[in-house]
Amino acid sequence: MKRLILTLTIAVAVATFCKAQNSYVDVAYSIGFGTGDMGDFIKKASFRGISFDYRYAIQPNIALGFNLGWNTFYEEKGTATYTIDNSSLTGKQYRYSNNAPILATGTYLFSPEEFLCPYAAIGIGTMYSRRNTDMNLYTVEEEGWPFVIQPEVGLRIQAADAVGVLVNVKYLNGFKAGDFDSTQSYFTLNVGLTFH
Amino acid sequence: MRQFLTASLVLLLAGCYPQGPDYAEDTDVVYTTYDERYDFKSRETYSMPDKIVTDIKIDDGDTTYEFMADKFAAPIFDKIEENMTALGYDRVDLDASPDLYLTPAAIKSTNYFYSYWYDWWYPYWDWGWYYPPYYSVSSYTTGSLIMTLSDPSQAEDSPINRSQTVWVSAANGLASYSYDISRVTKSIDQSFRQSPYLTTK
Repeated sequence: MKRLILTLTIAVAVATFCKAQNSYVDVAYSIGFGTGDMGDFIKKASFRGISFDYRYAIQPNIALGFNLGWNTFYEEKGTATYTIDNSSLTGKQYRYSNNAPILATGTYLFSPEEFLCPYAAIGIGTMYSRRNTDMNLYTVEEEGWPFVIQPEVGLRIQAADAVGVLVNVKYLNGFKAGDFDSTQSYFTLNVGLTFH
Repeated sequence: MRQFLTASLVLLLAGCYPQGPDYAEDTDVVYTTYDERYDFKSRETYSMPDKIVTDIKIDDGDTTYEFMADKFAAPIFDKIEENMTALGYDRVDLDASPDLYLTPAAIKSTNYFYSYWYDWWYPYWDWGWYYPPYYSVSSYTTGSLIMTLSDPSQAEDSPINRSQTVWVSAANGLASYSYDISRVTKSIDQSFRQSPYLTTK
């Protein structure tokens, strides 16, 4: 936890460099929940994640920007037997999934001047997705750069002049690509700070 | 300053990356495969040697075998026999023309790897600390127990007078300094558990 707070503090410090007028910088702690194929691979929620957003207001309630993020999913599977055709392999598996989205975003702010500002956004881009299945001393690695569409809804709470609290939910929908023959998708719940 | 913050961020994120196996036995795996056309049900007897080869030495063309010490080999043979009996096989001597041969072998292998920490801390004019490159050599040792079942009658049908292996089991794990035979006997149980087709019943 201490590390996480430190990480966020530094990320915030980095973010403030990019500060400009009419722009929003969001830095959030991100909790991920795998769905579909990713959820089958790792059932456990991910508590290792960070999300960074930059949004530039072209009109008071419309902003364009980009989103960068990183979510690491991990699960230690108990000893199990995996059988394919006439071969069986028993052992413990350690599963990892690392996902780093890079998206262009468009945001609609419902009440940009208010204390509570709900908003909706859509992100389009790609992500680097890597999956590792570790067993014995070996790892099977699958990776891809899927095309991503990410709807997002959130709430900004304008706590002070230039700083606010941010809560949002994103659904990252990655199409099949690279070594993955089905979609790679997950929900994230993000809580963080917003600067503008 | 910004480079420093970026580097710190990367290191901090790397610090909370999830860990893998904690103990040597977490790396234990058991692999089995078999000939799907082979009819195990019609077999009754098998023979197995009383020593386990762990290494072969070749000196001036002379081949000598190294065997596993009896105190380790005995529980391995007991475990194999216990499982084979449960499947309905009778252990017989080699000269009693058994239906199957079961041969266990143990292999220890050590892998060396080299790591090289390169000088990615380029000296900057404002925060110059420089990590000198260094090289290190590490190693790890894995142990394997391999069991094979083969049918001596198949040798007649082979142009090179060899019988094919009808079942193979390979158990492998990271060797620990405390020699723990229960990891091996557990892997034997697992080999037979995941091969229910071996039964004669």
